[in-house]
This record gives sequence, C-alpha cells and structure tokens, in this order.
Amino acid sequence: MSALLNGSSHSVLEVAGLTSGYDAAPVVRDVSFSIDPGEILVILGKNGMGKSTLLKTIMGFVRASSGTVALDGADITNGPPHLIARRAVAYTPQEYAIFQDLTVAENLRLGVESDDLLEDRMGDVEAAFPRIVERLRQRAGTLSGGEQKMLLLSRGLIARPKIMLIDEISEGLQPTMVAKMAEVLKATKQKNGVAVLLVEQNLPFALSVADRYAILKIGEIVARGDAAHADTAATLEEHLRI
Amino acid sequence: MATLLLDIVTTSSMLFIIAAGLMIILGVMKLINFAHGAFLTVGGYSAHVVTNAGFNAWLTIPAAAVVGFLLGIVVERVILRPLYDRPLDAILATWGLGIVIAQIITFIFGRGVQFAESPISGTTDLLSVGYSSWRLVLVVVALALGAALTALLYYTRFGLNARAVIMNENLARGLGIDSVRVRAVTFGLGAALACAAGALITPLLSIDPNMGLPWLVNSFMLVLVSGVAIPGLALASLLLGGAQVLVSTFVSPIIGGITIVVLAAVILRIRPGGLSRG
Amino acid sequence: MVDIASERAGRSLSSYWATAIVAALALAVVVAAPHFLGIYLTNVMIRALFLGVLALTVDLVWGYTGILTFGQSAFYGIGAYACALVFTHWGFGPGWFAAALVIAIVSAALVAWLVGLLSFYHGASPLYSSIMTLALPIVLVQIIFAGGTFTGSSSGLSGFPTYYWSLATWFVIAGALLVVVAAFAWLFVRGDFGRILIAIRENEDRCAYLGIPVSRIKTGLFVVCGAIGAVAGFGYAAFTDVVAPELAGFLLGTESLIWVALGGRATLIGPILGAIGIDVTSSYLSGSLPFLWKFIVGVAFVVVIILLPNGIASLVTGAWRRYKRHGKDGAAAHMHRETVTLVPAKGRGLEENLAADTSPIRIEALTCRYGSLTVLDGIEVEGRRGELLSIVGPNGAGKTTLMRCISNGSERSGGEVTIGGETIGRKSPQKIVALGVGRSFQNTSLFDSLTVGDCLRLARYRIDGARYFERSDKVALPEPALDILKATGLDRQLGLETRYLSHGMKRGLELAMVLATEPRVLLLDEPTAGLTKAERTAIGSVLTRLVEDYGLCVFLIEHDLDFVREISSRIVVLHQGKMLLDGSVEEVVSSDLVKAVYSGQETEAPA
Repeated sequence: MSALLNGSSHSVLEVAGLTSGYDAAPVVRDVSFSIDPGEILVILGKNGMGKSTLLKTIMGFVRASSGTVALDGADITNGPPHLIARRAVAYTPQEYAIFQDLTVAENLRLGVESDDLLEDRMGDVEAAFPRIVERLRQRAGTLSGGEQKMLLLSRGLIARPKIMLIDEISEGLQPTMVAKMAEVLKATKQKNGVAVLLVEQNLPFALSVADRYAILKIGEIVARGDAAHADTAATLEEHLRI
Repeated sequence: MATLLLDIVTTSSMLFIIAAGLMIILGVMKLINFAHGAFLTVGGYSAHVVTNAGFNAWLTIPAAAVVGFLLGIVVERVILRPLYDRPLDAILATWGLGIVIAQIITFIFGRGVQFAESPISGTTDLLSVGYSSWRLVLVVVALALGAALTALLYYTRFGLNARAVIMNENLARGLGIDSVRVRAVTFGLGAALACAAGALITPLLSIDPNMGLPWLVNSFMLVLVSGVAIPGLALASLLLGGAQVLVSTFVSPIIGGITIVVLAAVILRIRPGGLSRG
Repeated sequence: MVDIASERAGRSLSSYWATAIVAALALAVVVAAPHFLGIYLTNVMIRALFLGVLALTVDLVWGYTGILTFGQSAFYGIGAYACALVFTHWGFGPGWFAAALVIAIVSAALVAWLVGLLSFYHGASPLYSSIMTLALPIVLVQIIFAGGTFTGSSSGLSGFPTYYWSLATWFVIAGALLVVVAAFAWLFVRGDFGRILIAIRENEDRCAYLGIPVSRIKTGLFVVCGAIGAVAGFGYAAFTDVVAPELAGFLLGTESLIWVALGGRATLIGPILGAIGIDVTSSYLSGSLPFLWKFIVGVAFVVVIILLPNGIASLVTGAWRRYKRHGKDGAAAHMHRETVTLVPAKGRGLEENLAADTSPIRIEALTCRYGSLTVLDGIEVEGRRGELLSIVGPNGAGKTTLMRCISNGSERSGGEVTIGGETIGRKSPQKIVALGVGRSFQNTSLFDSLTVGDCLRLARYRIDGARYFERSDKVALPEPALDILKATGLDRQLGLETRYLSHGMKRGLELAMVLATEPRVLLLDEPTAGLTKAERTAIGSVLTRLVEDYGLCVFLIEHDLDFVREISSRIVVLHQGKMLLDGSVEEVVSSDLVKAVYSGQETEAPA
C-alpha cells in the first residue's frame, strides 16, 4: 500500500527479476519485490527452497546471473559484501552467525564501524535485551541457544541499519523467546523506521510481525499478500504443509 | 650447565622472533610464504645499508621493518591476490619470489659476505658465565614481541577484524570488514616482522644473499606445530629449539640440524592441528 | 557393429604403434645427436637428459596426481650415492654394477614407501604430504653430512671406478633411458590408470567414496617414481664420477618443480623440455651471466604460476585446440573421440541383494560429537531389504552427519553400524564401499576434466580394476545404471567432459556412478536438489525400481516433502541430533509433534 502512495523510488530495497544459484542450477528464479522504510516483509518457504540463497544474493555473497538489487535507489547488484554492509544493511545469517570464540562485547563491536560508536549505542541493546549487556565479557559460544540469537539481533540493532536481512531468527527458540524477538522487531521498526526482510518457516511468528508476506517455492515467488488479511493464514497453511 | 640453559632460551627466542612473521601470514591469510627466507635476507641487507651509511645501529631494526612492510604490500597486490584460491600454487609463487629477491640482492651487493654493526657487542656475566649480550637482548625482544603481537591481536580494532577474518571470512565481510585490506595489511605486517627479524639476527651471523634460506624450513615447521597461535609458537620454539640445542650438544651438531624437522613431522602426524588445537 | 569393433581394435593397436614409432624416431635422434653436438654440449646434455627423467617423475607425482613434492631429488640422490658408495667401498665390475643398481632401486623404493605410509593416510591434508616431502631431502642431506669419510660428508665422493665410456655412449644411455621412461609414462597416463591419477588430483575424497584405494595408489606411484628417480641418479653418478650432497638436496627438489611448472604440468613433454632447456641454458650462462639467468628463471616461474598455471606448453596446446575447434559448435568441441561401449555387468550384480537374508544395514546407539557439541545422539535405525527410508528434519538436525557416520568408520564417537552382518568398525570409506555402501553427495562434485565414460570406468575400478598402459573399450555396468544413462541421454555423451554437462545430467551421472559400485545400501543426500519437476519424477521412478526390483535399501535425505511422501516406505524424523519418530508415511505426516518441530514451535525433542 505505502509503496503505491509514495512511489517506488522511496523503497529501501528493491529487488527486480533476480536469478542466482550455484554451478549451472539456479536456486533463486526471477524474484522481484520491494520494501519501504518501516516495513517488514517476510519470505516464507520450507527448507531448500532458496530463501537463504536469496539473502546471500542480495548481500553479494552469491552471484546474481540476472536481475538487479537496489538499495535506496542505488544499484548494488553483485557488489562486494563489505561495501553493501556499510550502506547500513545488517545481515544476520542463519548458520555460523556469530563468532563463537569471541566475547559478547567483541561480537557487538564487529556490528559497528568503529569502537567509539559502541558505547553510544549500548543503550539500544540494553533496552532490547538487558541479558546481553550483563554478559559482555563471556565467550559467545558459551551462551545458550536463545541468548546467541539475542546477541545476533543485538548486533544487527547496534549497527542502526536502514534495513535488516534476517535469516530464520526463530529457529530452535522457545515460544516465549520467539515472542520477545517479535516484540523487539516491531519496536525497532516503529522507533527507527527500520525496514526488515525476514526469512522464515515459523508461520505464527512470521504473521505476528510482518506487514506483507511472499512464499518462495523452488526458487520462485508463488504467492504474496497482506499479512493482516483474513484468508492469509489458511493460504499459507496450504502452501507450507508437511 | 648454565651455558646450556642460556643456549636453549636464546635459541628458542631467536626461533620465535624469526617464525612470528610467517605465522601471522599463515594465520590470517591461510597462505604459506616461502619468500620468508628471502624477507629475512632483505632485513639483513637493510641493516647493512643503515650501519654502512653511518646511522646508529639500533635504527637497523625499524628501518628493516619499514622496508619489509612496503615490500609486503607490493608483493601481496601483484603476486598473491590472484592466487588466493590456489594455496599450493601460492607456495610455489612465493618460492619463485624468493629466488628473484636473492638474485636482485646479488646484483646490487655481490655474492660476498657483508656485515652490519651490532647495537651491543661483547658479553654479559649471567649465572656466573660470560654470555653473548646480543643473544640475551634477543630474549627480551622475543618476550616484547610476544606481548606486542598479543596486544595487537586482542586489544585493537585491527586485531579484532583480523581475528574475525580468520574465524569466518564471509561473516566478517557481511559485517562490513574489508577482508582484502585486512589480508594486505597482514602480509605487510608479516613481511615487516620477517625483515626486522633478519636485522635482529645479523649481529650473530654474516650477511649473504641466501642467509635467510636455512631458517625457512624450520620456521615453517614451528608455525605448523604451534597450531598457529602465539602461545603455541612460544611453546613450539621452546620445545623444538630446546631439543635442537640438546641434540647438537650431546649427539652431533649435524643431527641437531634436522631435529626440528623430524620432530615436527612426527608431532604433526600424531596431532595434525599442532599443539594449540585438540 | 562389427565395423565399429574392428575400428576400435585398430585404434588401440595404433596407439601402441604410434608411441613405438615416435620412441624409435626419438632413439634415432639420440643415437645421431652426439655426432653433431660439440663436446661441451654433449656433456651438458647428458646431465640434462638424466634430470629430464627426474622431471618426468615429478610430473607424474605432482602434475598428474596433485601431490606437491619437494623431495623427488632425494631419490635421485639415493641412486647417485648407491652407485658411488658401492663402487668406492665394495668393488666395481659388471656384478657390482648390477648389485649397486638393485640397491639403488630397492632403497629408493623403500624410502618412498615409508614416506608414503606416513603421509598418504586417509584424511591427511595435502599440505602434510608436502611437509613430508620437504623434510625428506633435508634429513637425507644431513645424514650424508653425518656420514664422515664414508659418504664424503659435504664434499661428496669422486674418483671412484666407473665405466669410462665415450661421451657418445653415455649420451645414448641417458637418452635411451629418457625415451623409454617417457614412452611408458605416455602410455600410462593415457591408459585407464592415468584417469584414476587425474581423478585423485581433482577430488580425492570422492574417489575414496567410490571404493578407490587412494592411499595405496598414491604410495604405489610414489614408490615407482622414486625408483625411476634413483635409476636416473645412478646413471648420472656413474657418468660424472662425482656425487655431492646437493644431488639429494631440497634445492634440486624445488628446481625440478620449476622445470615442470614452466614446461607445463601434466603434459610429460613440457617438463622434459623444461628440464633440458633450463639446465642446458644455465650451464651456458653460468659463466657469463649467472645471476641474470637465475633472475630470469625466477621471474618466469612466478609469472607462469600466476598467469599460465598449465605452463608454457599450454600456449601451444591452447592454440592447437582452438584450431581444431574452429568451425565446430560448442558441445561438439568438447567431445573427445571416445571408443567406449557400455555393456551389462556380469557376476555378483545388484540382484544378489534379493537373496540376502541379513538386514542390509543396522545402526545401533550411534552418537557423534565434535568437542562439546553433540550432533547425533543415540540413533537406532534398521534398514530392511527393499525399503526406501527418508530422513527428514530441519537444518542442523544431523541428517548429513548421519550419512557421514555410515560411510566413514572414523566419523562417529560411539555406537556401531552393521552392513549386511559386518560391523564397519573404524574402516576407511573405500573399505565401507566394499561392504556395499554407496553414497552420493549434496553438491555435484564430479571430476571436471574427465569424460562421462572415464567417470563410469572410475566407478568400476573396485570391481573391474584398471589397465596400466591402455584404455579398455568396454565399461560393464549394472542394469539400473544403464537405465539411468539411457533415460538421461548420457549414453550418447560418453565422450563429453563432465564440466559441460547440465545440472540434471550431472545428478544422473552421479547416481549411475554410485550404482556402478554395486551397493546394497544406497545413501542419497538430496539427489533432486536443483532439478526440474520432470527430472525429479524420473529420479523418483528410478529409486522406486531400485527398491522394488533390486531389493536395495535406500536412505534418502530430501527437503521436498511432497517427493518424500510419494516415494518413501518409511520416514525417520531427526531433530537436534535425536530421533523424533520412525514410522510410516501416514504416521509421520499426521504427527502433531513433527508439525510443531517444522514450524519451530518446539525447542526440545521429548526424550
């Protein structure tokens, strides 16, 4: 809706006709979407459908064979990942997402460009996950699974990004933790106008935070719509059943 | 007995100083720099040039480090960057570079042996024996170097970025770290350390175009045995360096010369990750 | 059909004849050459010819098989010293000559075998074998130094009695040795076995999972090349009447790498020309421009490594290939003239599975830990004959680790896996293949520069062996493998290098290769990833046939749950390393627990 009113030039992220993959086999096929500031888009799909590859292509880790990715109107297709990250994109991958052998504080330091920014922004982490601030000196690998996910999200928040790309943050979390993640994401979006591209399998979580959804099946978007719509849950259930 | 103990400590210190540059490069870049021996030689000749021009002999060390850093930056850009995904070829290319450097040095300085002034000469009385002062200085240098490298890696932003690149390069890039730059600076740093080490050992050895070569293989073995970590390198230098001194003293200096190589091959067969990793 | 067969026989015969004719011509040149060369050049050339033999062995070990060896010079040194020591200390004459040659060959082979034993164990990093080959010459030279007057220490031995034949005779001996070794090496790398060396270079791990005894082959090659190197060193010492520690040294070892790299890895002729060219030129320039010449060689070496990884020879062969390709379309240009026919395999065959009465696979209390991380915990599964068992679960559930623990005995931390009544113990992958386990991989990691026919022949190595000096013209394959090849059209692409195959064809070939090893248990890790709907259906019907008609037990990891539902007889659900459920398709699909796990609402699997 907002995209229509403001014109697409205001979208934070615009993906058009993106195709990418490994070897000869495309994993992501002709995917297009856009996200506005302060909007959360969730991409749903089962394992192996190309969700993670989509995020990796946006970040420049996987080469796009065709299509474009634009950030704030600037073309970043196949750019080097570190330059994309420095354009205020916070990427939290699903696997090996934190440095297990570094301390919590060091992991957070890596989220900001220089060390002096860390202290200014520690308040953001404190507000979202006080437990993380208590454990700054601990080795990240010794945190529990839930705490590691909190650290991961904290590292994204502290970067004060324009857009966050989040890969299955809810995986393996207890329901109370999932609810906490949803709360933090919604609060961040409202407070700072951060856009979020969420990749998920967890349907209830996805619908509780997202404004819009898209379903990825064998690399293609097969359905999309408004998360608040009455029929949405049933449609999604049908697409994602086991 | 006291002499033997001092021999062990000073030899280990020397090995530590010499291998440090190679280790930094292997740790961050996953690359074995077979030009390490040539970099030591460059350090030796830098020291020769500095003292020949009449400057203070203490200046040899920073001068060699600067030369090494600049050399390293150029080499990384021209030779190594195209070979990051061919690690075995990178070994060969750096070996070729070593040959080229040795020949360039021969063009300029000739084949003969050169000398550099020593910042400190003579002996010091320690544990009731007179012992080479410079060798004792090297012990202090090794301790300082270990502390400085630890501080660099663990208390600076560059160190944090470098460790992040070592642990997970893609994750580091995704957080905005320019891993290409980290690698370039690391190679410069490793080359600077190698050249400085070359300058540091010149008071004990004569300078010739192949002076670094005998150190290459031993440094390489020590770094692998260390498991690529600073405390591991200290331990490896002490153990293998100590063994070398003992064998040289009690068995034969010739067999002593292969102690490090043989022990390293055995240790790596049992523990492929070296001493630091389980 | 008859025509094709006779043409084939003619071709394989002609490859022998062609090699023999070229070798005879080369020998004629060798015999004639001394009459045209000056004394100095003849002298220099004899040395270069012996070094050419050394370069050939480096090319076989490094260029073809991918073992970066710094120590081939050690064998050259062993040969040289065997000659010098025997003639100096024990005696000289035809009998002693033969004895010394035997000593040279045997001791070099023994040393090579020991080094191979230490460095080529399964799971050794390529770096470790390089370290060992680096240590070898260094240790050897120190031993020579330590030998005092016996070995002549650093000044070596000279003036021992030897055959003072004319230069021309020695030239012919050295030249003939090089020609003979080169001719056999030429036939060898073009035969079946040569393909195996290339396959080891390209993907050693994959070879092990096809049942190829990689460590044994590497060690064997190292032994043979060591022995040949020793013969060359022996000849050189007998000719010059001087040996010095440098002949065994690390510098000669690296120099031989330079010859091979400059001449062109894996070309045989390139390394020979590289060795002769560089050695002869340096002999000439060592007087006038010694440093400049070494400088030029060093620069050329670095440039070639960076820009021309296949050596200077690749400029010539590249141009030749472009010329041959001229006017052909893309795919045809990459087709090799392949004279292979596929025939049905006789013997044991897959059908035997139907008769077996022990259960093909039983997994008991299997656990797998990496440090403090437990990836698999207490897995108990029995796979029955004619059963397709799908393993599902979220990412990180331990599915691929389970495959790894079945196919490699050293992966698991506890528990036991029994294949057809035999426990796998700590067996290496290739021995587990022999028990009847076939494993396909998630990524299609085939052997890029081998043809489809080569890959299939490779997969049959365990059962049919390989010929050393020729190409076999038939590949025997079990019926279902032939069916897959026909269905995917691969049987018409036998001469195509696999890197030019489509993704779907690669998957098909991968499956055919695993079936060629005649497994009773088939482990398939996402065999349909990246395939189109039609290709998935085709794979599905192949799997169904394997299970129903051939009684295979198939373990399948698959993300596409629709596919799983269609073809499975049973489903095992893994979650965080534990077995959540083992039941029929209906049981699993209707389980609320499984739904909860998949949608991420449950964290801990109930014990």
